[in-house]
Amino acid sequence: MVSWLLATPGRLYVVATLLPLAACALLLVGGCLRGVCRPYRESHPIARFLYFFLGGHRPLRSGAYLATGAMALSAALAIFGLVRYLDEYQTLSPLEMHQHWVESTTWAKVETSGATAMTLEIGYRVDHLTALMFAMVAFVSTMIFVFSIGYMADETEELHEDHEAHITRPGRFGRFFLYLSLFCFSMLNLVIADNLFQVFISWELVGVCSFFLIGFYHERPSAAFAANKAFIVNRVGDAGFLIGLAIIWSQFGTFNIERIISDLAGGDPPISHGLLVAAGIGLFLGCVGKSAQFPLHTWLPDAMEGPTPVSALIHAATMVAAGVYLVGRCFPIFTPEVRLIIAYTGGITLFLAATIALVQTDIKRVLAYSTVSQLGFMMLALGVGGWVAGLLHLLTHAFFKALLFLGSGSVILGCHHEQDLMNMGGLRRRMPVTAYTMLIGVLAISGTPFLSGWYSKDMILSNAMGFGLQNREHMVLFILPLLTAGMTAFYMFRLWFLAFAGEPRGLEAEHAHESPGVMTVPLIVLAVFSVCVAWGWPLWDPHASYLGHLLEKALPGPAHGLAIDDSTHSSGWLALVVAASGFGLALLMYGTRTIDPTVWKARAGALYTFLREKWHFDELYDAVFVRPAVALGYGTARFDKRAVPPEQADAADRAVNVSSLDGVLNALGLGTMFFGARLRGAQSGLIRRYVTVLMAAAVALVAVLVVVYVGS
Amino acid sequence: MTELGLTPYLCLGAFLFACGLLCIATKRNAVGILMGVELVLNAANVNFVACARFVPSFALEGQVFALLVIVLAAGEAAIALAIILNFYNNHATVDVDRADELKG
Repeated sequence: MVSWLLATPGRLYVVATLLPLAACALLLVGGCLRGVCRPYRESHPIARFLYFFLGGHRPLRSGAYLATGAMALSAALAIFGLVRYLDEYQTLSPLEMHQHWVESTTWAKVETSGATAMTLEIGYRVDHLTALMFAMVAFVSTMIFVFSIGYMADETEELHEDHEAHITRPGRFGRFFLYLSLFCFSMLNLVIADNLFQVFISWELVGVCSFFLIGFYHERPSAAFAANKAFIVNRVGDAGFLIGLAIIWSQFGTFNIERIISDLAGGDPPISHGLLVAAGIGLFLGCVGKSAQFPLHTWLPDAMEGPTPVSALIHAATMVAAGVYLVGRCFPIFTPEVRLIIAYTGGITLFLAATIALVQTDIKRVLAYSTVSQLGFMMLALGVGGWVAGLLHLLTHAFFKALLFLGSGSVILGCHHEQDLMNMGGLRRRMPVTAYTMLIGVLAISGTPFLSGWYSKDMILSNAMGFGLQNREHMVLFILPLLTAGMTAFYMFRLWFLAFAGEPRGLEAEHAHESPGVMTVPLIVLAVFSVCVAWGWPLWDPHASYLGHLLEKALPGPAHGLAIDDSTHSSGWLALVVAASGFGLALLMYGTRTIDPTVWKARAGALYTFLREKWHFDELYDAVFVRPAVALGYGTARFDKRAVPPEQADAADRAVNVSSLDGVLNALGLGTMFFGARLRGAQSGLIRRYVTVLMAAAVALVAVLVVVYVGS
Repeated sequence: MTELGLTPYLCLGAFLFACGLLCIATKRNAVGILMGVELVLNAANVNFVACARFVPSFALEGQVFALLVIVLAAGEAAIALAIILNFYNNHATVDVDRADELKG
């Protein structure tokens, strides 16, 4: 087994990917068995044993330990694989590396007329980007699994009372970890996939896991609505993804990313420029949906209806980053026009989301909008050609955003499910570990020097400035993120000051308590990573980041219009000044209260309401898309059915009327019934009649044959 | 003694088949119908064996099929008798015209 693995070390990643799936399958089988045995637990000894072995009336805790163990093992394998990959990269030739770390097998053959057989493949391809991303996903997932054991502990009760939906239901501890494991499998599969089709399958799988987990408390109408919204909005993006895939399949005849890129790099690409632009826009539209970019960003803040560890894992650290990851993977497929679209989409998104985050008071919503904004930073970086910067920010962001979300989960649990920042305050004394680990997260995301966020954000701004200096008409792509860097510092420190500084403003905050160790340890670990994950030597040079240098080795070729840095480091200094002023403003408004926020709220007036209502995007979409669709649905229903009084309902069902769909269908049904009733008489039950008919039919058949043969 | 040839055997087979079919179509007694079925099967058997004797390319197959039909007939008889017995237990008769509870 070990030699089999080490002969082709890339298979480590396959095993690491399948481990969460195995955990998911075990949990599923266990849960189903428990459900099957439940009705027979009194009458049948084997059923009784199985039922109580699998937890009995309460969900089984060991299911969570199993899932967490599988995830931890997966993370260990991922880190081992990363070390081994970096080791072999030093010593082996590119050909040997390819043999060791790339493998694929035929899944289905699709014949096309004339051309050679086209095949769908499944396979993996490990390069620096894959290895780093895989290690990040597996590691962050493990931390979040551990945290969830504490956070979801109330789901282990036999009867769990949902205070928001006002119902009592059995706890769903095992189900939560089942979904999480399925998600991790899908996400890891997405990361190692070597072809776009496999990416698409995983893409949909993570989408459906996200749907399950947002709707985890599906008895709450808001959660059910949010789950539907996330799923439907993502469908819009996925339609574009499918179009992109169709164009690529028809023009290249393969989904393999490496082959597509090498085909494009060759002198004679097998695709016209217009189609390549269309394919790029299609693929990017999928990424827009998944990564919650403008104009499909509206689902992500609503996704906060799910349990907080879900928000941390799926809607902050990993799944929403999949869009950015895919843009990075397929970077050479995007033509300069498409890259400009990517950059502007990112620019608009990061600014828009940050302005909304300034005024939100729900702790998770502030973080949700900050996630959207940070994803915008990554997209902008990729769009202006800052490949390393964008993906470095993806990795560093995953750590500090997971930290911030888990911190908010700890706060929410400590305050007995109070989420409104206005009712918090003073929590740093009652939950010091959460407060100071979150402070590290806030510092990292604001771009404080020497913390991980600083390195990546500085690189992004530097690349954006380089791009802006080269193309003066696009200078706005530097100004927007620069302003937003200040806003980021402001709203993150506003969150921290409102939650942790000052005196308690609510009953729940007064009685808050620190979370148990199973939740604080992941916070501390993530805080350590948030500080030092991007370090390099010298420490004060953002371009010396070791992680950045590793990513550079995965660059998809030099000839693809990568960004130039601004050579003067002025962007870094500007960003620092802007962020510091954002911090200063937050300190004055919410720390020392020298400036009264309520006065400024009154002065802002309509602007405040506008931001508070999220630029009215939900209302706009409601009026333009949702209501017409619902009206169309009702209209179609009216076409089908007319309102009839109950006593006439039976007559209406039998009315034959060729002018309406209902009438035509009635006619079909009545006709079938009529002929059925006639045909029924043929089954008389008399054997002699059957035999006579049989004989007559045989004779008739022979007669027909004779006539035909003699006739011809 | 001269060879008779294939035709007389086929005529015998056809005669037996017609008798069997007539028996099935006219009898009301279930056992009678069963006997008719046996006649039909044996008519087929006569054809098989005769063909095995006179058609060279059919030599082996004809005999194998004849054996197969004999086994089939035995099995069929066993099942049919069991059905008839059960029918008799429920209806105190073997008149197949009475077996019309499921008619349309």
